[in-house]
Amino acid sequence: MMDMDSLYRTMVLIRIVEDKLQELCLEGEAGDLHFSKGQEAISTGVCAALRPTDYIVTHHRTIAHEIAKGADLHKLLAEILGRATGVNGGLAGEMHINNPEIRHAFSFQLVGTCVPVATGLAYALRYYRKTDDIVAVFFGDAASSNGQFHEALNIAKIRKVPLLLVCENNGLAGNIRKEYYLPTETVAERMAAYGIACRNIDGNYVGDVFQTVKDVVEYYVRPLSNPQLIEMDTTRLCWHKQGQRDIRSPEEIAKLAERDPIKLQAEFLGLSEPRQLVIWQETSEYVDRTLARVKEDPWPNEVGSR
Amino acid sequence: MKKDPWFRNHLIRDAIYHAIYDRMRVDDSIYLMGEGSHMKIHFDCPAIEKEFPERVITLPISEDANTNFALGMALAGVKPIVDVITADFLYRTMDSICNTVAKTNFVSEPRTIVIRAEFMTAGPTTGQRPEALFTHIPGLNVVIPSNPVDARGLMDAALKEKGCTLFFEDRMIEDATTRKEDMDEGELESIPLGKAKIIRMGTQTASGSIHRLLTVLSYGITLRMLELMLEKEDLALDYELIDLRSIYPVDWETIFDSVSRTDSLLIVEPDVMYSGVGAEIAAQVAERGAEVRRLGAPRMTIPASRSLHGLMLPSEDEIVKMVEEMSG
Repeated sequence: MMDMDSLYRTMVLIRIVEDKLQELCLEGEAGDLHFSKGQEAISTGVCAALRPTDYIVTHHRTIAHEIAKGADLHKLLAEILGRATGVNGGLAGEMHINNPEIRHAFSFQLVGTCVPVATGLAYALRYYRKTDDIVAVFFGDAASSNGQFHEALNIAKIRKVPLLLVCENNGLAGNIRKEYYLPTETVAERMAAYGIACRNIDGNYVGDVFQTVKDVVEYYVRPLSNPQLIEMDTTRLCWHKQGQRDIRSPEEIAKLAERDPIKLQAEFLGLSEPRQLVIWQETSEYVDRTLARVKEDPWPNEVGSR
Repeated sequence: MKKDPWFRNHLIRDAIYHAIYDRMRVDDSIYLMGEGSHMKIHFDCPAIEKEFPERVITLPISEDANTNFALGMALAGVKPIVDVITADFLYRTMDSICNTVAKTNFVSEPRTIVIRAEFMTAGPTTGQRPEALFTHIPGLNVVIPSNPVDARGLMDAALKEKGCTLFFEDRMIEDATTRKEDMDEGELESIPLGKAKIIRMGTQTASGSIHRLLTVLSYGITLRMLELMLEKEDLALDYELIDLRSIYPVDWETIFDSVSRTDSLLIVEPDVMYSGVGAEIAAQVAERGAEVRRLGAPRMTIPASRSLHGLMLPSEDEIVKMVEEMSG
């Protein structure tokens, strides 16, 4: 049985890391970062439900997935801040991070790319390495307007790959609203074209995310080596990226924040406010200490050598 | 002695498969994939079809996802050979080559990926030679063998290279023009990427000769033309001929060394000259003070007719005229 308290702590860690990085963005020390504020339940619930040996492939908004999959915080922050001590020597930054230690195979800045790459990886795990590891690929609802997404689903189903498709549906493509890119109510409706089964859930309840992924992966994706989609409705409570104004009004975001997954999980656990405060305080201090150390780290000196 | 089961003839295509088959026998991480891959090996290399059927993956007509699929397999340790067949189709997969493959090789451990394509002669979107575009992208190697021996050696090297190699098969080179010594069935000689081949050293010295010695540089079909022209007694041409073989990395050492002897370079390229492969070489050689001239295709869309396509390449007359002018 999953420790629901640790799911809460992971989400808080993601939230605090991103909030502090946002401050660094505004101070000019970090740039062009994409945050998952309000979407933390998805990365947290999915990664907790996977085996440590399972892989994830992600998109540009991926600090949350790294943390949820168990990245060393120092190495992650060093990577984001371009230090030589980063996961990828400070060369990948936030949007191209790849972390073999935790089997975060890769993240891709270009929308849609993650799906065919994850399909190939899943194929190789099952039919080349002959393991029963699976791949969970994360993408937004907006990625479903990209050709690579559809080309990949086609191959995934034909080739029977063990692939969990996780759609983080926040109803936005950058700063564009749904009516401009999605002709259907859900992304799941489009799966019929590929014969790919799907589930729709509220992605802001981390316990539900965890349990649904567990069921789908252990009863379907892993044993049958078949792709399946779980579309998770969620709320992005932050900017798309630094330097872009939000099209949504503060009122609209405040309304969405009523579904803040961290708040929902605190309610589910019945955590008292003082108890929550202690967790936030401890986590914040931990992140501050780590950030302070990272800032002392050297810059990479091998740029241009490859 | 038992005959090598794959060997049917000696053309560039077969040489490429010879190398692939040899590597597949010793390296079980090599996979072949692309549109119609099963069909292609059925006709081109039955030995692979028979011995490694599970390592051939026929994929749909979805070039972009296919290359990214291959990259995904590479992340698990596979060395994929992606066959996009027609070189023009590479435009369909520019994103996955230039944005995914080239970049992942920068931000993590470089992985072996070979992307195969063929230069055809069937018009606007089935006759383009897009090789120059890829030389502009860091993280990509580009090779264009002009004969079977080089094709075999270069494919062997590409499959051992940690990185992405675009491997072009120049189908304008007619089988009948392949010389016997270039169809050597013997021991494999792996040819490192970035190593040009001096086809012929100049026979004259700069001093005391009637006319100046000239370096001529080319690759693919025009290289083959220049080679055959040297053999024609009535033309009585004399130049130092270099086959570039690797378009990237470029063997600057061999080029500069030859030009240091001849002090003049003629680049004859089979592709559009404008911003082409020769432009960069011309610039670098000119910066060192040598005389440089270029011949190549005009910047125009390929006509559908094969004979009109042929007219886009520099003609024998043009080449002779230029060589005489530069040697004069």
